[in-house]
Amino acid sequence: MVTTAPILMDTRPVAPASTFRPTTTTPAAAGPGAQAAPAETLIDIDHVDFFYGATQALHDVSLRIENRKVTAFIGPSGCGKSTLLRCLNRMNDLIDGTRIAKGSIRIRGVDIHQHDVDVIELRKQVGMVFQKSNPFPKSIYENITYGLRLQGVNNKARLDEVVEKSLRGAALWDEVKDRLDASGLGLSGGQQQRLCIARAIAVEPEVILMDEPCSALDPVATAKVEELIQELRTRFTIVIVTHNMQQAARCSDKTAFFYMGKLIEYADTRDIFTKPANAQTEAYVSGRFG
Amino acid sequence: MEATRANPHFLVNRSRVRLFGLSFDDCIRVFFGGNAVVSIIVLGLITFFLFREGSGFFGQNRQNLIVYRQAGLEYVDFIRAQQDDHTALTRYLSDLRLRQFTYATEHAPMSVAAANASLARFDDFAGQFGDTVEPLRTLVSDLTEQASAIKTKFTVMEDKKEERRQLLDEGRAGDAAKVVITPVDFAAELKPILGTLPAYRAASAEFAQGLERVLATAPTLPTPELQARMDRFKLHTRDYLAGFPAVTTQLEAWDYTKPVPASQAFTSFIFGREWLTASFWQDWYGVIPLVVGSLMVSLVALLLAVPLGVGAAVYVNQIATPAEQKFIKPCIEFISAIPSVVLGFFGIAILGQALRALSQVSWLSWVPGFPYSERLNILTAGCLLALIAVPTIFTLAEDALNNVPRAFKEASFALGATRLQTVIKIIVPASLSGIISAVLLGLGRVIGETMVVLLCAGNRIAIPDFTAGLAVITQPVHTMTGIIAQEMGEVVQGSIHYRALFVVGMLLFFLSLGINYVAQRIVRRYRISIG
Ligand SMILES: Nc1ncnc2c1ncn2[C@@H]1O[C@H](COP(=O)(O)OP(=O)(O)OP(=O)(O)O)[C@@H](O)[C@H]1O
Ligand SMILES: [Mg+2]
Repeated sequence: MVTTAPILMDTRPVAPASTFRPTTTTPAAAGPGAQAAPAETLIDIDHVDFFYGATQALHDVSLRIENRKVTAFIGPSGCGKSTLLRCLNRMNDLIDGTRIAKGSIRIRGVDIHQHDVDVIELRKQVGMVFQKSNPFPKSIYENITYGLRLQGVNNKARLDEVVEKSLRGAALWDEVKDRLDASGLGLSGGQQQRLCIARAIAVEPEVILMDEPCSALDPVATAKVEELIQELRTRFTIVIVTHNMQQAARCSDKTAFFYMGKLIEYADTRDIFTKPANAQTEAYVSGRFG
Repeated sequence: MEATRANPHFLVNRSRVRLFGLSFDDCIRVFFGGNAVVSIIVLGLITFFLFREGSGFFGQNRQNLIVYRQAGLEYVDFIRAQQDDHTALTRYLSDLRLRQFTYATEHAPMSVAAANASLARFDDFAGQFGDTVEPLRTLVSDLTEQASAIKTKFTVMEDKKEERRQLLDEGRAGDAAKVVITPVDFAAELKPILGTLPAYRAASAEFAQGLERVLATAPTLPTPELQARMDRFKLHTRDYLAGFPAVTTQLEAWDYTKPVPASQAFTSFIFGREWLTASFWQDWYGVIPLVVGSLMVSLVALLLAVPLGVGAAVYVNQIATPAEQKFIKPCIEFISAIPSVVLGFFGIAILGQALRALSQVSWLSWVPGFPYSERLNILTAGCLLALIAVPTIFTLAEDALNNVPRAFKEASFALGATRLQTVIKIIVPASLSGIISAVLLGLGRVIGETMVVLLCAGNRIAIPDFTAGLAVITQPVHTMTGIIAQEMGEVVQGSIHYRALFVVGMLLFFLSLGINYVAQRIVRRYRISIG
């Protein structure tokens, strides 16, 4: 077993391993750490098989995502991370011919793929940040208020308040407060991504899904987004897909490793990176394949 | 280094295929570049040709206007205009009679004979009103003859000059000398015409008196509505009478030697409200009725085609299932394969008829302009042109919608937007400039369309009566394209009429060019903003 994955040698102040909240593999065994509340399951993914038309992308995946924790999905390209992530807010509905053939995904006990579930309401609760930043070709202000306006909020004072709060929440306020009416497309890549995060948190979702949010960003912008994730973890449940092992190690509480559409290992991040139970996991996190 | 020195030819292009000393790459470049050059040359030639044929128009038109003045036609037209205004007033009276008749037969049921009898007093009034113009009429017909005679003399002189020049060109100086050219002495010729001024004063005074007298006998009409119209008629007549002194002043101040400014040749074309050719009196080449006709027809076409084309594009691009897409797209694109002459034929044979029948359905009479009797009009032509514009607008708008990055759509959905909200708030605004340019290109397509308007617009060369409000679209018009197609075959090459048609063509050319240019500018800006 590799006891010290090279990733953990990283001594950046943001997320040394020592700052991890004490979590354990099973919620029942939660230790007496700083935030010792027993981990509560928010999303229960239960034996899910997922198909794109005839091709199966997920095989019997089961995992429980805990409330107010950061969960990272890692794994080689094409292993189904994005697919699973997009199941959580039913973005796969937009693709023709997709279906969950077996199993269920429950959020707070509600099976979100039932026909009587309001997808619109679900997506308000489960926000998403995409790999490529995609602000609307509108002003920064309009970008942030879009979700609220959809919900019928038109009170200027309330919108102003939310814009400031969300931009502050996304650590972008100081950079853009003087040009809220400028186009969101005029920002730098990193700023655009934080704008997208601000847009997602403006509607106060419960969960934020992030699909490789930093893959198009330079190290400085990446660090900012990671810092942001650290701040957001207290208010939101975050699921993040990443190819960056250090990022997973730094930001997340729990990590799920996928391979070829299967969940190989799911455990505390520290355990995944220090003493993975599975040989494939070990090979992947130590950079020997993937 | 060593190798280079050993073989100094290693850099030489060694490709084997050579054509006229050109390598294969060169051939390809010449082929594609050549095609581009050919299209540019053709465009240049067309522009040059249009300019060459059209440019002579303004000189000729100025000459036309000079003769109009010198031969005294302008002078006579002052009085004719006065007479024409009177005719307009009598038309108002006939319209009023029709209304009374309808009222009598429908609301106070009477037999036709009884209704006519009840109108006897009104008819008497109208008849007398019509007769008041008599003194003026005699004068005008005399003057018309005289002015025409002067103009004819001038034309003959011009013809002779032309004949002599041709003979000289052919080197037959002897024959040329034999051609007799009688110069026209305008001052002398105009004397008799100007001499009628006292007679005009007398006639005008008599006319005015007659009007006053008849107006006093105006009958009162049975309903307030009809009476209001009668009052309006009286008001119009009073205004008309008040204008008499102005006509006299115009006549007194008129001077045939007053020069015609060169700009007038241009302004009388661009702002001219009359297109009148092959007239016994005076030809006018004013493009306004044609421009207005073209614009009205295009406007109606766009009003119909934009919702259809853009709506269909949004549906196909955003909502339709793949199967529906596969069906709808080719169908709409197929419309553009219908030859426009077939559409025009369809318009005459079926659509015009059907629309008129529809307009005469009684419960639709609230629609402005309904019922109408002209089968071929702006509406008929506009409907068919809309059909022509729809494929253009649809295809380009669909393209624009397609270019909206998928990421915008996903982001919107992820924030909890419905499909409709996403389309309205994100997709359409993001592609708006693309859609606008699609509409502009549709407009360009419609303005240039000829066959349909020639067959279905009704071809009446007059500015439609906008006082009719929305009903204006049920009036016939003529268009820029239509007039060229209709008249080009009949005109004498090189004549002013021929050249006038070319200038209309130029105008059309620049209009289309302008529209295309603006559309492309918008598309470019849109590409930049989407990134
Ligand atoms: N729209 C689609 N239609 C059909 N198959 C798809 C579609 N999207 C993904 N797949 C397939 O599903 C599998 C999982 O894809 P997914 O995008 O979830 O991978 P991923 O783990 O996110 O990879 P990456 O790290 O490259 O983003 C892949 O084999 C992929 O080819
Ligand atoms: Mg992915």
